[in-house]
Amino acid sequence: MPDKNPYEVLKADVLEVIEESPTIKSFYLKPERPFEFVTGQFIELSLPGIGEAPFTPSSSHYETEKIWVTIMNAGFVTNEIHKAKKGDVMGIRGPYGKGYPLDKFKGKDVLLLGGGVGLAPLRCLLQTMIHDVKDYKSITVCFGARTPDDMIYKDQIDGWKSVDGVHHLCTVDKCSDADKWNGKTGVVTVLLDDITIEPKDAISVVCGPPIMMKFGTFSLLDKGFLPENIYLSMEKKMYCGFGQCRHCVIGKYYACKDGPVFTYEQIKDEEKIWD
Amino acid sequence: MVVSKSDIIKFFDTIQSEYDIFVPYKTEREIDGLVFKKYDPEKEFVLDKYRTVDPVRTLFYMPSESVLPPSAKSNKRIIAGVKNCDLLGLAVLDDALLKDNFIEPNYKIWRDSSYIISCDCTDALPTCHCVLLDNNPYPNASKEGESLFDINLSPIKEKFVITVGSKKGEELLEKIKEVCLLTEATDNDKEICEANHAEVLKKVRDINSDFTPDRNYDVITENKEASVWKEFCNECVQCGACTNICPTCYCLILNDESTEEEFRKVRSWDSCQLVGYAEVAGGATPREHRWETFRNRYQCKHNFMKFNFDKLGCTGCGRCISACPAEIDLREVIQSLQEV
Repeated sequence: MPDKNPYEVLKADVLEVIEESPTIKSFYLKPERPFEFVTGQFIELSLPGIGEAPFTPSSSHYETEKIWVTIMNAGFVTNEIHKAKKGDVMGIRGPYGKGYPLDKFKGKDVLLLGGGVGLAPLRCLLQTMIHDVKDYKSITVCFGARTPDDMIYKDQIDGWKSVDGVHHLCTVDKCSDADKWNGKTGVVTVLLDDITIEPKDAISVVCGPPIMMKFGTFSLLDKGFLPENIYLSMEKKMYCGFGQCRHCVIGKYYACKDGPVFTYEQIKDEEKIWD
Repeated sequence: MVVSKSDIIKFFDTIQSEYDIFVPYKTEREIDGLVFKKYDPEKEFVLDKYRTVDPVRTLFYMPSESVLPPSAKSNKRIIAGVKNCDLLGLAVLDDALLKDNFIEPNYKIWRDSSYIISCDCTDALPTCHCVLLDNNPYPNASKEGESLFDINLSPIKEKFVITVGSKKGEELLEKIKEVCLLTEATDNDKEICEANHAEVLKKVRDINSDFTPDRNYDVITENKEASVWKEFCNECVQCGACTNICPTCYCLILNDESTEEEFRKVRSWDSCQLVGYAEVAGGATPREHRWETFRNRYQCKHNFMKFNFDKLGCTGCGRCISACPAEIDLREVIQSLQEV
């Protein structure tokens, strides 16, 4: 049998487009065949004739018929993707990389620390963990955004809060309009002051803009989380997704193949991990 | 086994309808330069001497190829006159592109359909420095398992001593036997071979007598902030010649040429030396300064690839030195780091 072409693309129809924030949209995709992946793994999503970019799905990995991808308009390809409408065709290839090692999370307190569009992969992790919520000691979600308008998945917060074993906290960096937000204000790390879990044995997962990942990690370390228990979802430029284009190297590691999920312990000595 | 050069020519003439044959020819483009070209019975080829201007990689990993669907052709090919530095380069590419679950489709097709006839170097260029990396200007047959070549030729006067290095080499030898008269290598032939090896080895060592053998590449990472980088990169114009001409570079970019009916992807060479290489949407880049970009090639070749493949990404071919418009010499850079 010939080897599978790693560049093979699965056609996917756009079922729905949801505007999450002024800069972020979610796309509900139906791949032509069920698409299996593990939470934390990523896909290359392409727009025919335009290009492709790497994204981590935002829906549970138990859902293989339809995939939800949340995308921020940040560059050339994402700007074009944002123009897509219901009924358009996209391409999916992957999944690539290593996902979150859920086996290591089981039986433990798990803290998800996310900022901005970094909530997208964390939603996938959260939805997947909620499916087996009894396997985890507790799940604490700390989500932050710049302003109330930038906070995505707002309509889902009540659903998450209603799950036994899930604690949800959120904050916005700033808000001048009290009608829009009556919650906490301050950068996402302020939420760590309110958590009650014992850090020494707990798992934390961080995803967000580089600056937030950096200070989020440092705050977790200060709180007493161990470097080997802090999981980071690294984002770098990626073309191939499987260790051949070399653009995504973080020192000697490939963000695509050895990651995108790394523990802080693994990469803390590599250069410029936050850039 | 020994074969005469005239018999090798006869062999190529006989099989050229069945195989695409590539052999080094002299080029007028560059003094002393050899380039791989399709076999031409009218012209005189050069199997021995030294490495070609372009690495043999260019016959396996084209500057631009469709990967979806794969565009490589599976015609049988013979690539002759390959030097040890290029064989070592292919070994790195094999690890990078044919391992794990991800097989580069074109490279696999080109590799599977090609027979490699390597040849010992009999001369050296001023940039040749394989000896500094503990490599020889001639391939060594693997004691166990497959060698990097299918057949190797060791020149002795107007003849070649044949060494078979792989199953494909055995296949090819049968083909050679159909056309050529082979004789057993005599003790004298073997002695001449060894003397030739010693002579070319001395030649490459003499060329590199200003440099201590570069064995500790940890100095690159240990001195990653050293002023050496800034000094050497002052002359660098970030043209990417050094990576394009390297036998082990394989960085790529992917272009989407899909339509709604069919997905198509085209991959092209990229270079870590070019501006914007690692820049993400929004403008962030892990290598902000020019000297960091410059340093990346050294780290990649000597530290990262060593970690990734347990092989150095530098084979000592010296092409990056020959190609550099600023005349930056990799040997001098490494030497300076060792003296920090």
